[in-house]
Parts: sequence; structure tokens; C-alpha cells
Amino acid sequence: MTKDLQAVPAIELRGIGKRFPGVIANHDIDITITSGTIHALVGENGAGKSTLMKILYGVQKPDSGTIAVNGHQVSLSSPSDAIAIGVGMVFQHFMLADNFTVLENVVLGAEKIAGIGDDARNRIRQISDDYGFDLDPDDLVEDLGVGERQRVEILKVLYRGAKIIILDEPTAVLVPQEVDALFDNLRELKDQGHTLIFISHKLDEVLSVADDITVIRKGTTVASVKPAEVNARQLAELMVGSVLPSPSTEGSTVTDKVLLEVIDLELDDATGRPELVDIDFAIHAGEILGIAGVEGNGQTELVETIIGMRRQARGTIMLAGEEISEWSTRRRRETGVGYIPEDRHRHGLLLDAPLWENRILGHQTRPPSVKGPFLNPPGAKADTGRIVSAYDVRTPGITTTARALSGGNQQKFIVGREMSSDPILLIASHPTRGVDVGAQAAIWGHIKRARKAGLAVLLISADLDELIGLSDTIKVILRGKLVATFDPQSVTPQQLGSAMTGADAISEERS
Amino acid sequence: MSRWMRLGLPVAAVVLALVFSGVVATLVLLFTGDDVVGFWRVLFTWPSERDLVDIINMTAILYLSGAAAAIGFRMNLFNIGVEGQYRLAGLFAGAFAAQGLLPGKLNVAAAILVAMAVGALWAGIAGVLRVWRGVSEVISTIMLNAIAGSLIGFLLVKWGESTGNARNTKMMPEDSWTGFFRLFPDVSDGAYHLSLLAPLVGIAFFILVYYTRFGFDLRAAGASESAAVSSGVSVKKMIVVSMLLSGAVAGLIGVPMMFSEAHQYGSAFQTGLGFTGIAVALLGRNHPMGIAFGALIFAFLGQQANLLNILAGVSPDIVNMTQGIIVLSVVIAFEVIRRLATRIEQRQVATQLDAERQGDTALKGASA
Amino acid sequence: MRTFAKMAAVVMVGALALTGCGKTSSEKDNNASGSSSVDVCKGSKGEPKVGVAYDVGGRGDQSFNDSAYRGLEKAVKDLGASCIEAKATTSDNDSIREQRLQTLADQGFNPVIAVGFLYSPAAAKVAKANPNTNFAVIDGYSTTIATDAKNLSDLVFAENEGSYLVGVAAALTSKSKHVGFIGGTHGDLIKKFEAGYVAGVKSIDPKIKIDIQYLTEDPSDAATGFENPAGGKQAATAMYQGGADVVYHAAGKSGLGLFEAAVAAGEGKWAIGVDSDQYLTAAKDQQPHILTSMLKRIDTAVFEFVTAFKEGKVQSGFVNYDLKVDGVGYSTSGGFVDPIKAQIDAAADKIKSGEVKVPEKP
Repeated sequence: MTKDLQAVPAIELRGIGKRFPGVIANHDIDITITSGTIHALVGENGAGKSTLMKILYGVQKPDSGTIAVNGHQVSLSSPSDAIAIGVGMVFQHFMLADNFTVLENVVLGAEKIAGIGDDARNRIRQISDDYGFDLDPDDLVEDLGVGERQRVEILKVLYRGAKIIILDEPTAVLVPQEVDALFDNLRELKDQGHTLIFISHKLDEVLSVADDITVIRKGTTVASVKPAEVNARQLAELMVGSVLPSPSTEGSTVTDKVLLEVIDLELDDATGRPELVDIDFAIHAGEILGIAGVEGNGQTELVETIIGMRRQARGTIMLAGEEISEWSTRRRRETGVGYIPEDRHRHGLLLDAPLWENRILGHQTRPPSVKGPFLNPPGAKADTGRIVSAYDVRTPGITTTARALSGGNQQKFIVGREMSSDPILLIASHPTRGVDVGAQAAIWGHIKRARKAGLAVLLISADLDELIGLSDTIKVILRGKLVATFDPQSVTPQQLGSAMTGADAISEERS
Repeated sequence: MSRWMRLGLPVAAVVLALVFSGVVATLVLLFTGDDVVGFWRVLFTWPSERDLVDIINMTAILYLSGAAAAIGFRMNLFNIGVEGQYRLAGLFAGAFAAQGLLPGKLNVAAAILVAMAVGALWAGIAGVLRVWRGVSEVISTIMLNAIAGSLIGFLLVKWGESTGNARNTKMMPEDSWTGFFRLFPDVSDGAYHLSLLAPLVGIAFFILVYYTRFGFDLRAAGASESAAVSSGVSVKKMIVVSMLLSGAVAGLIGVPMMFSEAHQYGSAFQTGLGFTGIAVALLGRNHPMGIAFGALIFAFLGQQANLLNILAGVSPDIVNMTQGIIVLSVVIAFEVIRRLATRIEQRQVATQLDAERQGDTALKGASA
Repeated sequence: MRTFAKMAAVVMVGALALTGCGKTSSEKDNNASGSSSVDVCKGSKGEPKVGVAYDVGGRGDQSFNDSAYRGLEKAVKDLGASCIEAKATTSDNDSIREQRLQTLADQGFNPVIAVGFLYSPAAAKVAKANPNTNFAVIDGYSTTIATDAKNLSDLVFAENEGSYLVGVAAALTSKSKHVGFIGGTHGDLIKKFEAGYVAGVKSIDPKIKIDIQYLTEDPSDAATGFENPAGGKQAATAMYQGGADVVYHAAGKSGLGLFEAAVAAGEGKWAIGVDSDQYLTAAKDQQPHILTSMLKRIDTAVFEFVTAFKEGKVQSGFVNYDLKVDGVGYSTSGGFVDPIKAQIDAAADKIKSGEVKVPEKP
């Protein structure tokens, strides 16, 4: 049945460009998506995938280029335009009201289609049965698991009549079995004539489910391939270009001096449910410990516990031989903890404050920013100037607000700031997430120099190549536990990937 | 972004907001059939010397009230309880001064400390409840206002004495009365001596917020709690400390007038200043200089309201309403220019860096 | 966006606070009822020019301020006076009150009458500065501050004596031997009403149970005390449900809630008004429940003061309006107290003769 449709592509993007102030998000994007296929769009974090999909879904308007859907050129100025022509989107973060039922969530905003009563209920049952979603319209969303919620999101889109469905990183929040179930659902949808656009940076998944793959790098399309023609390694190289980080060639600088030691650390959430279990590790001076894991498996909690923003339920944290378990965040930072936060906008910067005031953040008690109880603006400004030039922060000046800088320059500034005041431990959470390639290379260089200078570095990243390239040791975190340790010299992304998803351990654990 | 723009945009915003409020007030007057011409004539008549003195005094008092609210606002704490804090503080200061335990001006100084302590403690209750039990300070301070009112009634019965139908604390000894700075030879009263507290608080507030570590922590916590926490600010401590500070300044609000005019706490003690202070702080963008400006506008309008009532037959309600519109439009105008300024700045950064990098083909990934 | 939402929340609180603290009753309230429907000051010309500064609540409260207005009205009609009125707000201070009185004097108004004891310190100051203008303060104590001012009068009332009489009426009417009293703010002035009322009730039957409630303990919270019909209704409903069958109020506009509660409570439940003859201004369905009203003849005081001024016979210092000079009394509208009128008048005679001394404090 898909044969005749193939003549007209479901979506054709030609020459799409989009600029944000200070950033070119997309340029010269060309993609052809065949009807009735699963088309994967891969690229690194920050390569421009999400912006592109927002353009296709009408959230943002492109500055240049054309969009054709089923052969007709369209101009989308809002998501409702997209829905009207049969394009739907399932966002990475679910937009569901927890205390509503599935039915209520689905009909919310789409009451015109079949009302809110039995018509709608039957329709939802019908869709659920057709595609094997196994959803009851009257279940409360708060009682559903993550996978089921995702199916509700997909059902919402189908209910609104979408034939083309965009899924933004749908597997980021799923456990492996749920991923498999999702893929079954996607194949079912494809078989019934839907076109699916699947955004991901997880290559093994892409290779297993996609019919076509388009690679996006630095905001533009660099390749279109078939899964059969490439392997994961080749795909990865296409994604990052030729500048794949080479594993540290400078040789080991690891000493036997333990700087950070975490012993039997456990963290509970407000309801007493464990978030971190039996965490044990040590980082030596000159060592980079990489933590690999699917997002949401405890990385954030681990960092926040070490930095003192959350208090452990049990266990000990030692820094340079001193127990710091009960210390305040400030005292820990004063002792020499540099912190590159996962979300720099929320945790690393005062966006509306000038750069030189941001220099003080996190260093409120240490020179050159302060003198006694008073701030020292001249000192802070001078040191901001030093960071700007030493770390190549592209900014018109030190009075520019942090918000005005691009992500890469914000991050370089943060790295420079955190390397000030002689830290002994550097915690780097996703240090190159959402930054441009130039900044990425620079930040890697800075982390390597920190290691060489004898710091202990805790590196958390979702980018396996980054982890393999930089770390001296890699540990894998899964559901709040450190489940495996690898030597980056010998490990492959595939091995890491299966440890991260618990593929080795699933049989025992989930019996 | 040029210095000009940085200074010019806010001024333009305030002017526009004032003009807008004037237009709305005019429309309302036209709608109600009031005397529009009279309204503007009276409003723009240069105040008499006597009224100028009153405006100056009221500006000082409203400044204290605005500063008290602003200290909380600076870190997103909404101390709605300034009202109860300053009234209770006034009662204790009045009752203390009436004891005459210390001689002369020493007694005044001690009474001021009492006022600050009482204000701080009353506000501190809300701070502690917030930190300890997560009770929203908005709710707790509103409740504390009501409790303060009843407590004042009770204590006035216990400590006070009747004068006619009024009930006041005992008169304080005459050597503890503070006088006036005579500003005009023909006006017997002048600026209250203790209205000097306002500029003192203003300077202290300015230095504290912009030149101390504590002030930085305060601003950081207000701008982004998450960033402040990561930087090592103990938000719990900041909440309690800033409530204490806010309350201590609130305690001063009633002091200048009480020591220069009534010399006792009682029926004549002005109420409602705490709420006006919230508006003044909003109008002044929580900035020490801005609050002075806001206080002046409110003092001026408050004074003219009386005249409008008698000379133009316009209800004081209209003036109250105009004050409200000014606050709303200033807040909206500032939000608009904040976004505008951000956009201008980002564009400037982009152009500048693009120019720098001519020929450099490296492109940035989208982080949007 | 989040900060904007928060900002908006503060603005709303600020705006509410502003409107809350600046709340005054519109003069257009209650236009339909009572004698305050026409503004006598508009277009009035002639001497003397009387300036009146009202208390919080303003004209239209159907009780305290309106009583002053009726005196003003009479002065315009009978004496050919002209007048101007100024409003008060709950956020007034002494300086603002001074400015108000001073502005009236500056505009050539003489005499100037301030309604409410809060004006006392301001009047004392302004009277000194304007020796050629006569000032009077209703309920005032200004002459205890400016003791030597010849142009200053305090017009004070024996509210306790009037309240005693309605207390007698309440006691004689109550079948359940259970009555009530609702005060506005718990200050000395309102306690005078309470003291007189309680004494009057007890003079008939010391065993009668008396519920006493004040709407606020905060002496400065006029909004809750005197401009709060909902609070008045709530308090009265509780008293009626608790078995009281006659309730007297001294709570300004809040008393309007008492009348509503009496109607809701049904047949045999009585309310007693205050200051003005509230039977006359009450709604039709409320009238059958208004037993009587304690009359505080502010209208008489205002009229007499203007008359005395016109005749050049102003008495400075305290001017007492007690039962003897009919400065206080009770109303008979509706005829509900006709059967017991003799007993009330007997009580009045005892007070006038000095045989009974009515306490001023509870």
C-alpha cells in the first residue's frame, strides 16, 4: 500500500535556515522523508535537531527555506497549523495532567473532534486497540508508568488525526523493555501507513528501528544513509565530524593520592525511596572519573550530594582526607570544589547579571571577588577580564549580561571561573552539552589540563565518546547504583551502552 | 549596550507609565462626570510650603516602608506583614519611651532599637515558619498582621490611658521629644528630626545590597534560587536574615512621626503605611534610589488627594486608584523594557561577534 | 516567565492592599434611602459657610456620619448656610487631617466641623493657627490638648445614657431573657455604649444574659469594625441562634448586617439601631425587626453649633449633649416600644434627676 504514496514524499525540507541572536541554529537543511517510513534524525546534543523539529511543528518559523507536506508547500505559524495538515509531535517531556484520566488528557483541547463523552472514549479505545497501546481511557495518568504515559502522548497525537508523527528523543526516559515496546508500537504505526520522525542520538536504537537516517551536524544536514549501509562507529563519525576526541594520549597522570572518596553513599527522596544506593568510589589527584548512564539514573543526585545541595541518608564523603559529609555547600566550595553544573542557566549563572558579577557567583567568600565582608568589584572585574581572554570567551565586554552570550561562551566562562581559586576537585556535569564544536574542543582541553594539574575530576556525560576520550576510569550508573567499571582504553561504546541499559543484568534483576 | 540606553530605558518606562496612568485617570473622571480640569489644575499646583513639609515627611516615612518591603522582595520574599510589624513596633517603642528609663535623647535611641527589635522579631516569626515548616510568608505575615492588631488592642488597654475617646500610651517625657528641621520661616513645623532615618536606611540598604557579600547572596537568591544554592548560599539562612532585616526597617516606619508629633502611641498612629510600602517598593523596582522616587510620588499624590477632594470635589478614591494604576503600569513597562533590552543586547553581541569572525565558518549549534 | 508570574502576583497583592487601605464608601451608596439622597452642599450659597470633615465611612453610613449630615442639611435649610464636605480615608494621619481642616479654613469656611474624635489632635493644632475660624470636633477631646483655644469646641455625647434606655427597652422586650451587643472596634468610645446598655438591661432584671462581641480587637481597624456588614451579620446570627432575641449594635455600617440577620432569624427577633433612627432608613422587610434606635443627636449638635456661630454665641470647650438636653435618646418609629414607653421614660427621668448614674466603662 505504501508503494504509490512513495512517489510523493511525506515531508520535504529545502534550504531551511534559522538564526537566533548570536547563534545559527539551522542552515541549509535538506531532508526528504518518505511516506510510511520511520525516519531517524540523528545528531549530537545541540546540533540543531530540536530546532528543526520545532520549525516543522510550527513552534518556530524558519528564516529561510521551504517546507512541503505531501507535496504541498506549507507555511506553519503555530502547532495548530501543523496539526491541521496531519503533523503531530510527541515531546520529550510529557505534557500530561497527572490528576486527569487518559480520556481527559486526550480530549483536552480537542473537544471538537468527538466531544468529551462516550464517543471520545470509544475512539480512544479504538486507537488503543488498533496499535496495541493497551490503554484504558478511564485510568488516571498519575497511576501510569513512563512507557504508558508516552503512549498516551502518542495517542493524543493520533486522536487529533496526525499521519506524520515527530518523536523527540522518545527513548531518553525509558528503560530497555519499554524501549522495545515503543519500537513495536512504532513499527505497528508504520505498517498502518503513518510516517514517523524519530529524533535521537542513541545510535544502536536508530540502527535497529529506522528505515532512513539523516545526520545533522552543526545545524545542517551532512548525510542521508540507510541503516544497512553503516555501522554505529561510522554513524558516530558522521555525527561529530572528523574531530572525534582521541583518547588521552598524554599518558596517565593518576597519582595514588586520593582526593575525593565516597563511601557507602545513600540518598533517599522525600518519600524515603532510595535514589542513590551503595555508591563507592575514589578519585585520585590527576584522575578523571567518568560516570556513564542513561539520564535520570542518579547522576544529578550524585553530583548534588557531593556538592552538598542534598544531604545523604547514609555514607561518608571525604575530600582530601577530611570528612565533608556534613559541611555546607559553601564550605565545600571554599575547600576547593569547582562545579560545572549540568544546567548552566539554572545552576551556573545569574542570567541578567553582568559577567563580572557572575564571576563572583560561587566564589562569594574568596578573593579576588571579595575583601572581608565587602565585595571587591575592581578585583572581580580584573579577574573576569583574565578569564575572558584565557578561556577565549567571546563577549563584547565584561559588563555584558550572561544571557546575551551563546551557550558555548557561557560554558567557557563557567569553566574558567570554576578553575579559578585553585580547586582540588572539579565536578563537570555534561560540560559540552549544547555548545558549539569550537567551544567543545576548548572545554575538553581545559579538562585535560585540570587533570594534568593534579585535580581530581568527576565527569558526568551522556556523550560516550567524550567519556571514553577523557576518562581514566569509567563507572556506569544505573537506577542509582554503580553497576560496572570499565577501562576506557579497552571499552567500546556498545559495551558501555549495554551496561547503561542494564542489558547484562536484566535477566537476574527483573526475574 | 550603551550606558545611555541602560539609563534612558528605565526613565522612559517610568515616564510612559505615568503618562498612561494620567490618561486612564482622566478617562475615569470623564466617565464619572467629575471635574477633569479641576483635577489636573489642583494636581499640578505647586504645593504650599506647609504641604511641602508634609510631603517631605511622608516621603521619608514611605521610604522606610518601601525599603522594608524591598529587602524581602530582593530575594523573592513577600513580606506583606510590614503593616503589623511597624504598628507593633510603634506601640512598644512608644510604651518604652514613656517609661523614661533613660535620659533625653538616649531614651529616643533606645526606643528606636526597641522598635527595630520588635519589628524584626515579628517578621522573624514568618521567616522561621517558612524555613522550618514551609509556611508561605505571604500567608503567615497576613495572619501576623491580624494578630498584631488584636495584640495592640489588648496591650493598649493594659498599658494605655484614655484621653477623651482615644486610648494612647502614656505621654513620653518632654526631653525625649524630637523636634523639626524648620524648612520655611512661615511654617511652624518642619521635617521630623527622625526622618533622617530614611536616608540613613537608604544608604545602608544601598551599601548592603551592592557592596557586601551578604547583599550579593541576597540578590543571587532573588535572581535565581537554584544558582544561589549551587554557589553555596544557604537559602534558609538568607530567608530568616532578610525577614529580620525587613522587619527591623519596618519597625522604624512609625518612629519619626510619633517622636515629633504625638509623643505617644495611640489612636492617632497612622495605619496602612505597610501596604503602601509594598506599592512604593514595586514602583521603585526595589532599588534604593527608585524607592525614594516612588515614595515621593506617593507622598505627593496622597497630599494632593486631600486638596482634590475639597477644591475639585474629586473623591480621594480616584487618587488611590491612580496610584494603583501607576504601580501596575510601571511594573509592566519595566518587564517590557527588560525583554527589549535583552533582545537588543543579544543582537549587539551577535553582530559584534559575527563581524569579528568574518570568514570563520565555524557555526554554532543551537542551544535554544 | 516565572519571575514575571511572580511579579504579577506581587502587583496584585500590592494593588489589593492599596484598594483595601484606601477603601472609603462611595457617596452613591444607599442613595435610595434616607435623607442623604440629595447633596445639600452642591450649589448652596450663603452665610455661614460650614466646612465638614467626615470620619471614615463617610456620608451614607446610615448612622454616625449621616447624623452629622442631617444637622448640616438643617443648617442649610433653616439658617441659609452653605457648606462643603471632605472625606476621610483609613490611611489618614494627623498631618493629613490637619491639612484637611486647614484647607477648609483657607477656603474661607467658618465654622469647620470635624466628625470623629480622631480629628482632635489635628483640630487642636489648626485651631491655634487659625484663631479667626471656629472649629468643633464631634466626640472630640481637642480642648484637652489646646486648653486655651477660644475657637475650639468638643461636642460630646452621653452615649452611655442613651444606651441605658435602649438597654431597658431590650430587657423589657426580651422573652428569652437573653440579649446581645455588637461593637465595632474595641475602643473606649464603643465601650461607653456597652456600659450603658448593660446597666440598662440589668436595671430591669440582673439575671438577663448578655452576649457581648466586638468585631475587631484592633482599635485602628475601622474597616473591620465599622465598615463590615458581613462581620456584623455573622456576629448577630450567632447571637440569635444562641438564644438572644434582642441585639443592639454600636458598629456604624457593620450594623446593617445585624438587621439582615434579624430578618433571617425571623419573627420575634429584634435589633436595636444606633446614632440615627435606623428604622427610617432600613429596608421594608427589616423595619418590623427594628425595635428602637439609640439616638445620638449629632444632627442637633451640628445644627446648634452652626446656629450659635451665626448668633455669635459659640461655647468653647466641651459641650455636653446628654439626656437632659436631649442630646441622646431613643426612637419610637414603628411603635414597637409604645407598650413599654412609660417604663423607659421613667428610667430617663431617673437619669435626668441624677437618681441613677450610668457608668461610662463596662
